[in-house]
Amino acid sequence: MPSKTTKTSVLLKSSQMFKLILMQLSGLFRKSLNVIMAILAAAVVGSILMLIVGRNPFVVYRLLFQNAFGSERALFITMQRATPLIFTAISSSIAFRTGVFNVGVEGQFFIGAIAGTFVGYAFQLPMILHLPLSLLAGFLGGAAWAYIPTLMRQKLGISEIITTIMTNYIATFLISWLTNYPMRETPLVAETPIVQNTARIPQFVNLNPNLAKGTQAHLGIFIALAVVIITWYIFKYTKLGYQWRMVGLSALFSEFGGINMDKTFIGGMLVSGGIAGLGGVVEILGVWRRYKDLFATGFGFKGNLASLLGGQSIIGSTIAAIFYGGLEAGALGLEWSTGIPRQLIDIVVGLIIFFMAAQGMWSFLNKLKLKNGKPGEGMMAFVKRMFTPKRKEETL
Amino acid sequence: MDTSVLVDILQRYVFNVANLQGMLRLSTPVILAGLCALITARAGILNIAGEGMILFGAWFAVAGSYYTQNSYVGLAVAILSGLVVGGLFALFSLKFGANIIVMGIAINIFAVSATIFMTRIVFGVAGSFMHPNIQGFSPIHIPLIKDIPILGGILSGYTFPVYLTWLLVLLTTIFLYRTPWGIHLRAVGESPEAARTQGINVERVRFLSVMASGVFASLAGSYLSLGHMVGFFDQMSAGRGFIGMAVNTFGGGEPVGVFLSSLLFGLTDTIGFRLQGERIIPIYFISMLPYFVTLIALTYFTIRKAQVAKAVFKKKAAQAEAER
Repeated sequence: MPSKTTKTSVLLKSSQMFKLILMQLSGLFRKSLNVIMAILAAAVVGSILMLIVGRNPFVVYRLLFQNAFGSERALFITMQRATPLIFTAISSSIAFRTGVFNVGVEGQFFIGAIAGTFVGYAFQLPMILHLPLSLLAGFLGGAAWAYIPTLMRQKLGISEIITTIMTNYIATFLISWLTNYPMRETPLVAETPIVQNTARIPQFVNLNPNLAKGTQAHLGIFIALAVVIITWYIFKYTKLGYQWRMVGLSALFSEFGGINMDKTFIGGMLVSGGIAGLGGVVEILGVWRRYKDLFATGFGFKGNLASLLGGQSIIGSTIAAIFYGGLEAGALGLEWSTGIPRQLIDIVVGLIIFFMAAQGMWSFLNKLKLKNGKPGEGMMAFVKRMFTPKRKEETL
Repeated sequence: MDTSVLVDILQRYVFNVANLQGMLRLSTPVILAGLCALITARAGILNIAGEGMILFGAWFAVAGSYYTQNSYVGLAVAILSGLVVGGLFALFSLKFGANIIVMGIAINIFAVSATIFMTRIVFGVAGSFMHPNIQGFSPIHIPLIKDIPILGGILSGYTFPVYLTWLLVLLTTIFLYRTPWGIHLRAVGESPEAARTQGINVERVRFLSVMASGVFASLAGSYLSLGHMVGFFDQMSAGRGFIGMAVNTFGGGEPVGVFLSSLLFGLTDTIGFRLQGERIIPIYFISMLPYFVTLIALTYFTIRKAQVAKAVFKKKAAQAEAER
C-alpha cells in the first residue's frame, strides 16, 4: 500500500528531522556551554574580588548591566564601544580560521585608521565618493600592513606571531612620526587636521538630537554588521570560504586536494588585515574625526580575545564583541557612579578566557581520576601529584 | 659629510661615558626580557606573555619595597610573583591544554588591567604610584674596577640588578651548554619526540622553562620599578616583553647574542634621548630601527639556512652519485 508507506516515511522523516534539530541544538548548547560556564566561573571570582574590595557584588553586577544594556543611552554607548571590536574580532576570526594567529590586528587597525584619515582630510570630494574612498583607503592600508608578515610566513615559513608583533611596533612609531611631523596640524598637539564633513560617518545625534543624547554612537555599526553578514556568507556558502576553512583545518590536506595555497592563504590574511584597517578608519570617521597620536590602544588584542570568546566563528565573535563592548560601556558607567576602576572588566574578561581554557582542566582532572581508579579524587590526586617529586627509578 | 664631522657626531652621541652608561642601564631590562623569551624558545615554546609578567614583577617589587622599605625584599617578592604567574601560565597552557598564544594575549591584557586595578585599590592612586617609602636600588661601586680610568666609569656604579643581569647571561650560557639540564632543554626544543625517546620528561622541562621565564621577566620588572625609576606607572613595561622576543630572535637564541642585541636596543634608546633636542632625524625612525632590523635579519637567516640546506643536499647527492 503506497499511502501507508508514504505516511511512515513522512513520520520517519519528521522524527529524523526532530532528532536532527535536537542534535544541532544540543551541539550548539554544548559549544556555548563551555563559554557560559566560563562566564559564570569568572563572575564568581569577580564577586570574590569585589567582596575583597568591600563592594556588594550583586549591586555591582546590576549597575554593570544597567550601564551596558539597561537604557537607551546605555545601549548606544555599548554600540559605540562594540563597533571597532566587531571589526577586529571578525578580522582575527578570519585569520584564525585560515590557520594563522594574526597578532598584528592592532597595527593593521592603526595603519588603516591613519590611511583613511589622510584621505578624509586631504581631498575635497562629494560625500558619495569621499566616504567610500576613505573606507577603501583604510581597508587597503590594513591589508598592505598584513602583507609583509603573510609573505614571510607563506614563502619562508617564519612564524607570523613574531613578525606581526614587530610590524605592530613599526606601525606605532611610523604613525607617531606622521602625526608629529608631516600630518601635524598645530604645533601644540600631535594630531592631524580634522576630516572633511563629506568623509564623516554621521553620528546618531547628528541625525536626530533626541535619539542618542550624550553618546558618540555612529552609523558605522551598520558597516560593521554588513561586514559580518558578508564574511559569514563567504564562509558559509562560497568556494573561497570553503577553501579558507580547509586551509585552516589542514594545510597539507588542502594542498593535496588541489587548493592553491599561496592564493588562498595570502588572500585570507589580506582580508583579515583589511577588515582590521576598515575598523580603524570607521572608528576615526565616526568618533574621533581626526587622528590623535596614540588615541587608543588595545582594540586589536581585545578583538583577538573576543574572537576566542566567540569560538572563532563569525557570528560567535560578533556576539562576543558586542558583549565585550557592553561590558566596557557598563564598566565606564560603573566607574563614573561608584568609583570602581573600569579595569575590573578586563580582569573579568581575562578570567573568562582562563576558564574557557580550563575546558582542558576538567578533562585533565578526569584523566587523573581514571588513572588512579578512585572516582571523585581527581582534585586531590592532582594536588598530590603536583607536590610529590617523581622518581625515575620506579618507571625504569 | 667628511670624516671628522662623523667622528665628532659619534663621540657626541655614541661613544662617551655617559652614553655608554645609559646604554648599559637601558639595555638591562631588555636583556632580562630577552632571556625570558630565550629560555622558553629554546624549549620549543613561543611565549608572548613576557610583557604581562614584567608588569606583575614591577608591581610586586614596588609593593614589597613599599611595605618593608627594603629594595631587596621587593626583588624577592617580585621573583616570587614571577614564579607564581609563570607557574599558572604553564599550568594552563601546558597541563590544561590551552593554546599558549591565547593564554599569552590574555595574560598581557589581564596584567595591564590587574596592575592598574591593584594600584587603585591597594595604594589608592591612579596612573602612577610614587612614595618615599619605596626604596630603590642604590648604586654599587666595585672597589678595584672603579679606579680604572675610563672603564671604571663604564663598568662600575650600577645598581644590583644590572650586575645580576650580566651574571645571568653568563650563567644561562653555562646552563645551556655545560649542564645536563641545559642539554635536556635544548633537546626538548629541537625535537620533543627524540627527547622523549631518550627518557626526558618533556612536559616537566617545558613547565620549568616557563617558570624560569617568569623569574627573568619579574627581574626585568623589578629593575624597571626599583632601578630605572622608583615607583609604579601604568603600563610601565612599554612593550619590553615583545622587544625581548625581538632581541632573542635577533640574537639567534644565544644568551650572548641576546646581550649584544640588547645593547643595540639600549644604544638606540640613548641616542633617541640625545637626539630628541637636536632634531637631526626624528627619533621615531631610530626607535623603529631595531624592529626593522629584526625583520630583515629573520628573513636573511631563513633564506640563508634554506640555501645551506640545499647546498648540503646537493653535495650529498653528488657524493652518492660518485660512489655509485
